[in-house]
Amino acid sequence: MTKNSLKTGPDELGYYGEGDAAMGGMAVGETLMPVLHELNQGFEDAIKDQSFLDEFDYHCKHYIGRPSALYYAENLTKKLGGAKILFKREHLNHTLSHKVTNSLFQVLLAKRMKKKALICESGAGQHFSATAAVAAKFGMPLTGVMGDIDIARVNQNIIKAKHYGAKLKSVPGTLKEAITEAIKTFSSNPDYAYICGSAVSSAPYPRIVQFAQSVIGREIREQSMAQEGRLPNMLIACCGGGSNLIGMIHEFLDEPEIIKIGVEAAETAALSNGTPGIMQGMKTYMLQTEDGSKSLGGASLGAGIQYFSVGPQHSFLKDQGAVTYTSATDKEILEAYKLIASTEGICSALEPMAGAAELIKQAKNKPKDYLICLNLCGTGEKDLNTIQEHIGKDFE
Amino acid sequence: MSDRLKKIFSEKEPKTKLISYFVGCYPDYDQSLSLMKEAIDNGVSILEIGYVTSEASAEGPIIKKAHDHVLSNGGNLDDIINLVKDLRSYSDKIGIVLMGYIANLYKYPIPKFVDDIKKAGADAVLVVDAPHELKEENQLREALNNNGLSLIKLAAPTTDDKRLKDIVKISSGFIYNINVSGVTGVKSANEADVANFVSRIKNLTDIPVCSGFGIKSPEDAKKMAKSGCNGVIIGSIFVKYIQDNLGAAELTQSFGKEVLSFTEVLK
Repeated sequence: MTKNSLKTGPDELGYYGEGDAAMGGMAVGETLMPVLHELNQGFEDAIKDQSFLDEFDYHCKHYIGRPSALYYAENLTKKLGGAKILFKREHLNHTLSHKVTNSLFQVLLAKRMKKKALICESGAGQHFSATAAVAAKFGMPLTGVMGDIDIARVNQNIIKAKHYGAKLKSVPGTLKEAITEAIKTFSSNPDYAYICGSAVSSAPYPRIVQFAQSVIGREIREQSMAQEGRLPNMLIACCGGGSNLIGMIHEFLDEPEIIKIGVEAAETAALSNGTPGIMQGMKTYMLQTEDGSKSLGGASLGAGIQYFSVGPQHSFLKDQGAVTYTSATDKEILEAYKLIASTEGICSALEPMAGAAELIKQAKNKPKDYLICLNLCGTGEKDLNTIQEHIGKDFE
Repeated sequence: MSDRLKKIFSEKEPKTKLISYFVGCYPDYDQSLSLMKEAIDNGVSILEIGYVTSEASAEGPIIKKAHDHVLSNGGNLDDIINLVKDLRSYSDKIGIVLMGYIANLYKYPIPKFVDDIKKAGADAVLVVDAPHELKEENQLREALNNNGLSLIKLAAPTTDDKRLKDIVKISSGFIYNINVSGVTGVKSANEADVANFVSRIKNLTDIPVCSGFGIKSPEDAKKMAKSGCNGVIIGSIFVKYIQDNLGAAELTQSFGKEVLSFTEVLK
């Protein structure tokens, strides 16, 4: 990779970009610094070890069921009457979201680094249930930290994680509070491995998560060439911390002719409405008070994208103009859900429906030979109660 | 390097300095000010005044509760700097360290922050989540050094010897050795571990070493003082005392006695 490549980086201190505009870095307490340097070294060693990468690939195939299908959404395409629409069906992975690929990678890394116990945070519970499944498979104890508001709304993931043998630590709040608490738990147990669920936090996590999830984009390239004989013109994914988005687009970052769009929840659109700040281990765009003393942001129906901040690589890509970031309201998310459920018979999670809301706007105005791919990064089972509550009546 | 901190540690009495942490503006500006004045009157050598941020990652339940109180009642960095001014006019001798997270300083922004705290009379800054790998730490450290102020660096049980050498090199004022891994006010410090840790640092530098985290009583403080450290840092226990006695008549005076129970054993 060349220095001019957007795929390069971050630098050794975790910065994307240069000078004062650089995003990312390592903003954590001293207790974690040696541990994070050790993790970075462990990661760099592991990705040079072909047998480790082969082991990851093996389990991606046999445990997760990768590659996930690239699906031509024919009915939706016809209904919208514009661009040809493809879904990258990450919701068909084992544990029903893209999260498991990252969990698998980091748990294998933890094993390689001889860690004995795991911690993770979760918003939608997808990362918790995914990490719990992988932890069970590899015989490692896991404590997951979640906000009580999320625990109540994504109960199915909690039940599964418990069956897999994981412990749950509840904190008042949502993903934001879970991340802060996970950092505290990690500081108290620096010999544990913290399995970070999104491309957020201090270096080296954004890079590790990006590395693990980038398989999504590589599969899209291969599948799209095989099935369509060409690459998509546009890639769309939702963005909370931004792991499914970076996983989808990283492969294509040096191909500016491919349009990339990340869609945040309108209530917590850090990239559209935020300012640079430093919280939760990283410098990045975030919703905060002017004096930086308080994180801000409202509630979104999509627990996994209700996050006041965003992964630092996305802040860098925004500043570079390499990726467009938009947002979707709850109403748009629910409309998109209904449309996709009724046209394609797919019950999607609410988070990727933020991406779908943007897809609907984009596809309508495009010619029929324009190819758009949406990352459908999770299943809707966890959201059925929320969905029922909001649009159940419409079906009666 | 702060001359005032240098002077404090060069004095023979008290043998071990008491550094006490306060959540600035807790429970409110006026009470916070009187509590800190009372601490000065009862022998505290250095005040650490905490400014609050919502995503503080090193605070246990006691200090978090106080932070949340200040966050919801207002009490921003400007108020904290005013507290520094008031305390400096009350005492020319007391060491004053502002302690918190990089979030607020970054937005202040850093050059203006250093100017303002210098004018207010602070001696040093301690930023929990700003290791020397962070650009903003470099910026802050340079600005403080250029203004005769100190950036207090931390060393943790996880800090290896190579890293400790790097930290010692850039330390100023004193080194804060964190006795236990984790958040404030939860685990207890182990005497032998602390003694071992202090001597590891002392082998590398003459800069004073102050020991914090996990010191929960005057007896603990006395034990830790034997580790060879130059100061002990008390945080959660004092915050808890204030928390448990909110609204009590004569809180300030009774708090003074609480402080005295520590300073007496450190003479």
